[in-house]
Amino acid sequence: MINTVSSNIKNISTLEYKEKKFEYWGPTPDESRKLMVNKSHALKDKRMSLKEAVGKHIRDGINLGIGGFVNTRVPVAIIHEIIRHGARDLTLSFQSNSICPELLAGAMILDPDRVSIKRVELAWWGYEIIGIAPMVRYLATNGIIEMDDYTNYGMSVRFKAASMGIPFIPVRDHGGSDMELVNRGKMIECPFTGKNVYLLPACHPDVGIVHTTAADMYGNARIFGAYCTCPEIAMAANATIMTTEKVIPTESIRSYPNLTEIPFPVVDTVTEVQYGAHPGASYGYYWFDMDHIKMFRSICEDFRKTGNKDALKKYYDEYIFGCENHDDFLEKIGYKTLKKLKDMDGGQPIILT
Amino acid sequence: MSEYTPFEMIAYTGSRVLEDERIVFVGTGLPIIAAMHAQLTHAPNLYMIYEAGSLAPILEMGMPLSVGDTRAARKACYLKGLCGAFELTQRGCADYAFIGGAQVDMYGNICSTIEGHNYDKPGIRFPGSGGAGAMAANCEKTIAIMALEKRRFVKKLDFVTSIGFGDGSPDYREKAGVLGSGPYRVITNQALFGFDEATKRMMLLEVKPGRTPAEIQELVDFELIIPPDVKEMAEPTDEDLRLLRDVIDAEGYFLKRVIKK
Repeated sequence: MINTVSSNIKNISTLEYKEKKFEYWGPTPDESRKLMVNKSHALKDKRMSLKEAVGKHIRDGINLGIGGFVNTRVPVAIIHEIIRHGARDLTLSFQSNSICPELLAGAMILDPDRVSIKRVELAWWGYEIIGIAPMVRYLATNGIIEMDDYTNYGMSVRFKAASMGIPFIPVRDHGGSDMELVNRGKMIECPFTGKNVYLLPACHPDVGIVHTTAADMYGNARIFGAYCTCPEIAMAANATIMTTEKVIPTESIRSYPNLTEIPFPVVDTVTEVQYGAHPGASYGYYWFDMDHIKMFRSICEDFRKTGNKDALKKYYDEYIFGCENHDDFLEKIGYKTLKKLKDMDGGQPIILT
Repeated sequence: MSEYTPFEMIAYTGSRVLEDERIVFVGTGLPIIAAMHAQLTHAPNLYMIYEAGSLAPILEMGMPLSVGDTRAARKACYLKGLCGAFELTQRGCADYAFIGGAQVDMYGNICSTIEGHNYDKPGIRFPGSGGAGAMAANCEKTIAIMALEKRRFVKKLDFVTSIGFGDGSPDYREKAGVLGSGPYRVITNQALFGFDEATKRMMLLEVKPGRTPAEIQELVDFELIIPPDVKEMAEPTDEDLRLLRDVIDAEGYFLKRVIKK
């Protein structure tokens, strides 16, 4: 890039990469600002079914910003609905995630005319203790999807810059690593200190998907446990689809406005979905379902090793296409499992009043 | 002295290198176990940051299985999100980064992104940086856990994910715009490494009792600095093993893993 300083890192690794011209992988800051200005900012009831919400906002070619972190408060119910609805040519943006992008990737492997991923801007894609994520290993290793690598802070703060309405943000990481070469950030000389500082472009998803602890019907949302990057993603996105464990009265929101982490103007739809992050965890409600995640992961791993899609197709037919909505899915998971997961959360304290 | 496993030795050594009254930014698995062990023994005022957003939790519900585990938020002093956790770090509140990776070089740079040379179509795609790249940049000191194998202690990385001392030049990190002082220790089950102040190169500090520095050099593809005063690694006592096995990782999620060849 022109007028760019660098930390001169090209001799450290054996990396080979193609220089790419900078482009936004979703809405530009100006486009996103304009869209936000033109939205209705009324306090209006935004509750609707997930089918309606997804039908209204999800289309081919969008940048989809995925909330949660690894297995925590991951918006699985929304992902299931997106797979039923279909969405091709997606750009995915997230910091670290497990089952959400894996579910989309599995859907792509089964039927790329229904769901397909074009590229991913991310920090990490895996299952931590449970193992590597087989679908990303398959897709990225074979060059089927394009990757753009940042750190967890990098992706989080790119959403934060977008949520602040600024086009980029300076950070003190990425520089001197190969991420400086391959991602869309840029090293400059700080105009004040005269020293090198790395800049990251804001990330505005077309649609952000988040699952929250509680929200009112207007979309004012509380999050207990780690926020992950959900407030920033919701505020960065052109449209935000929100599921929440519990819709609470606006009176409660107004009693403790400090507890609102996502404000209503940035939220487009609200759907109460209990266990909406299952098999992920939701602090104060349920722990993650390690057995289910292991089961899905091992089906994906079998595909990666053998190329046989039968078990994968069976999983999607049973748990996604065989369900009208998340209640149907939870019925297949079963009361005993859900009760156990609730017990394992241990009643972490949350405020719903 | 009881028998101990390689994972137990790594966790115990990790605990030993953490000082009291410090803050450690932990990664999933052995770093969490090492920090919990340190808290229960010599460092009761050591606190953890978990990147999903919690500072100084009390882990009374058991060991978090991942850094995003909701249990890691239990009774924290401060609980925000990833931006909050990493901005504390960028500001200078995190003393240690505790990370892992697939490859490390003589200057403590670490790869966890790809194996192979071609970014767009690598031999193997790994999960990616996660928090590691940011931790290695901006925590004050970086501690890495690695398996001691020639294919991992390499002359040249496939991809630099987490910055160490770069090419070893004295101003590399400053030019890179990062803040922390960089690599501090590399922990394996057979040897503990540090870094030479002048050359920034990896230096052997301690070997497992019974091993020689020459044997350790055999397992490393680049030339180690081997000072004359290499010490023996301390071994976990029965009480350390009881804490690791019965108190910290009682379910054996990390310590009882089978090592895949």
